[in-house]
Amino acid sequence: MNPFATLGLEPAVSIDAKEIERRYRDLQRALHPDRHAQKPASERRMHLEKAVEVNEAYRVLTDDVRRAEAVFALRGVAVDEKDGRIDPAFLMEVMELREGVSEAAAKGDAAALVRFVADAETRRAALLAELEQAAGANGANGAAVDEARATELLGRLRYVRRLLDELEAMTADLEEA
Amino acid sequence: MALLQILDPGAKPKPIGIDLGTTHSLVAYVTATGEPVTLADCDNETLVPSAVRYAPDGSVVVGKQALDAAAHAPAETFLSIKRFMGRGSADVAKEPHPYKLVGTDGAPRFEVGAGRAVTPVEVSAEILRELRNRALDELGGVGGAVITVPAYFDDAQRQATKDAGKLAGLDVLRLLNEPTAAALAYGLDAKKNGTFVVYDLGGGTFDVTVLVLDDGVFQVKSTGGDSHLGGDDMDRALAELLAGDAAANLTTDSRRALELAARQVKHALSERDNVNADIELPGGARVTRTVSRTDFEQAIAPLLDRTLKAARRALRDAKLGAADVDGVILVGGATRTPAVRRAVAELFGKEPLTSIDPDRVVALGAAVQADILAGETGRDDVLLLDVLPLSLGVETMGGVVERILPRNTPIPAAAAQVFTTYADQQTGFELHVVQGERELAADCRSLAKFTLRGIPPMSAGMARLEVRFEVDANGILHVSAKEQRTGIEQSVDVEPTYGLGDDEIERMLLDAYEHGEDDVKKRALTEQRVEAARILDATRAALRTDATLLEPGERELIDKHVVALEMAAAGEDHHAVARAIESLDHAIKPFAGRRMDRAFREALRGRDLGGLESETAHAKGIESHLPQGERDGRTQVEK
Repeated sequence: MNPFATLGLEPAVSIDAKEIERRYRDLQRALHPDRHAQKPASERRMHLEKAVEVNEAYRVLTDDVRRAEAVFALRGVAVDEKDGRIDPAFLMEVMELREGVSEAAAKGDAAALVRFVADAETRRAALLAELEQAAGANGANGAAVDEARATELLGRLRYVRRLLDELEAMTADLEEA
Repeated sequence: MALLQILDPGAKPKPIGIDLGTTHSLVAYVTATGEPVTLADCDNETLVPSAVRYAPDGSVVVGKQALDAAAHAPAETFLSIKRFMGRGSADVAKEPHPYKLVGTDGAPRFEVGAGRAVTPVEVSAEILRELRNRALDELGGVGGAVITVPAYFDDAQRQATKDAGKLAGLDVLRLLNEPTAAALAYGLDAKKNGTFVVYDLGGGTFDVTVLVLDDGVFQVKSTGGDSHLGGDDMDRALAELLAGDAAANLTTDSRRALELAARQVKHALSERDNVNADIELPGGARVTRTVSRTDFEQAIAPLLDRTLKAARRALRDAKLGAADVDGVILVGGATRTPAVRRAVAELFGKEPLTSIDPDRVVALGAAVQADILAGETGRDDVLLLDVLPLSLGVETMGGVVERILPRNTPIPAAAAQVFTTYADQQTGFELHVVQGERELAADCRSLAKFTLRGIPPMSAGMARLEVRFEVDANGILHVSAKEQRTGIEQSVDVEPTYGLGDDEIERMLLDAYEHGEDDVKKRALTEQRVEAARILDATRAALRTDATLLEPGERELIDKHVVALEMAAAGEDHHAVARAIESLDHAIKPFAGRRMDRAFREALRGRDLGGLESETAHAKGIESHLPQGERDGRTQVEK
């Protein structure tokens, strides 16, 4: 499925979050099963299927990694997670970051965790910008996609995302302690 | 007692909203002027205590009378039965309660007098029946019902609630999350857009929900809570405090008496700083003690901390901070406790909203939603978008959970997963579905075992079983499966871990009718006629407004089926009505598909100010996205 088409959007790595929300709500306003509770069974079923699809598209588009994957999948790039062969230098960097994060968490250094989050967010933004370029930018149809580069960047984005998830969990643990 | 109770055949049945609470329940409806109101009994009392007594003479008493009996007949008087809904016997056995639990596995059963045992679903059905009768007396006829559940209820708890509704003779339009219902009641009042948090501390459950209100759309962003934490636990903590050193040696009866008294003390402490308690226990012993508000607040501090922790997690899940919240809504009687209000105000940095009675707000919201679902109002500006409260997963090798749908996924939702066979000629396959956030299946809630049958025999590993998990707008899971190579649909048998099987519910329903099969037939005919009227109305309306979408010859075909259904509905055979409904449904399907596509396009275009170019692009996107064949293929997955 093409989640961008479902929400009536052009495929792009970066999309205005407000625009996604707006379209999502407009579509659900028209399609949600509650709007059709008095309709015949097949019609209710049809709207249910459509509402499910809109919900799924919304989930993909509001998730950085899945949204970027969807862009490349539409450009014919295989984005299977297993295919990623990531630059060892980048992996070393992430490993060091992780160690730093674990140390900060063990010491209960909340301020350090906040700095790590800011750093990871900067990396994420940079990767998204690079991915946008690799995808041939907005609307530049026909531009060749550098598959190897796309795979590499997506792999890195997944690593940064995982790091951010870990940071969130650690920050939460610290808050609750 | 008769379930088919029609007082005024001329009165149009009114949809109702029911708040089925741990300590008390209530029913509401929307008046002709569009105002939601709760229904009171002859003493002007709107709250029905959620107490059910099975008296020795075989009669069943619900409400205040049952509550009054609770202290002297604890084993046969059920209080807070909601805590046991959708739970297994083993779980129930671990909790202190005065009931006679029989059996050790599956759904719990409690012995209430000679040879009679009841399940929590049946006990809850008695409460619902009481509310239904109250509504019948007042309104003359009851249409569909929306029943509220804690947002944090899992699939088994929801299914149990739905079963109880069915057993009480209600047409359950929807299970609605309590915080969402409360937000609906508030939102319609305030007409204000923004981000809201609903903090709902009821008698036995705690929910916290973060939602965004945008021009009538209530979009839940995240939800969290604890389905076993509430005012009851405060009563227990206070009872311990009252009993002091004697707490460890209390009999079950004394404990219940003390807890009931503690509730009164708790209420008094909301108004005063000190309360002198003087409680007589069964057997004549007395407990006299002065409790200060400070003592009480210290005793409940750990409980409050748990709620605040859940609230912070819900905020994180919604990717929001406390400062982003525009308003906090308090729901549930336990939020009357000053310490609760203070803690919430402190966490969010603002005074919570309490303008609607926290005991009644949920029922009021449920009534509004019932009205909307029954198509009673012209209220097409309101829509509730809810989420799955707990992750759904299947057990894989080594007892590890593979997540299918994460928590806070917007519902309705679906996910498909492909499995294969591990033995040659294998024709069956078992899936264990669990719910929860833990890594191991043993640490999550077991929902059900689904057995797929009818897999075409092949070599091991050849079959490709696509299992589709679908969560409906009630938050209830449905599973279907198909072998992809052959396209053969598998039948799926569900064996709920703690719930009741469909046949068990049917049997209980039959038992509930006075005249057994005759009543069932009469009821089926009534239901089919209502459904027939619904589809006929919808069809006529569609033909009026969207005639331009009809293809040549289609109108004649539809008209033919309309006439056939009208004739069947005038007859007495409910099977014939059902068949005619199905035929008409089938005949209008292509027309309905075209209407939906157009609505979809219009919804996207509505806000599109980007000019002609992007508009064509969108339209193209939709076309390419929805080929006729694919849509038909999908709708075949119906069960």
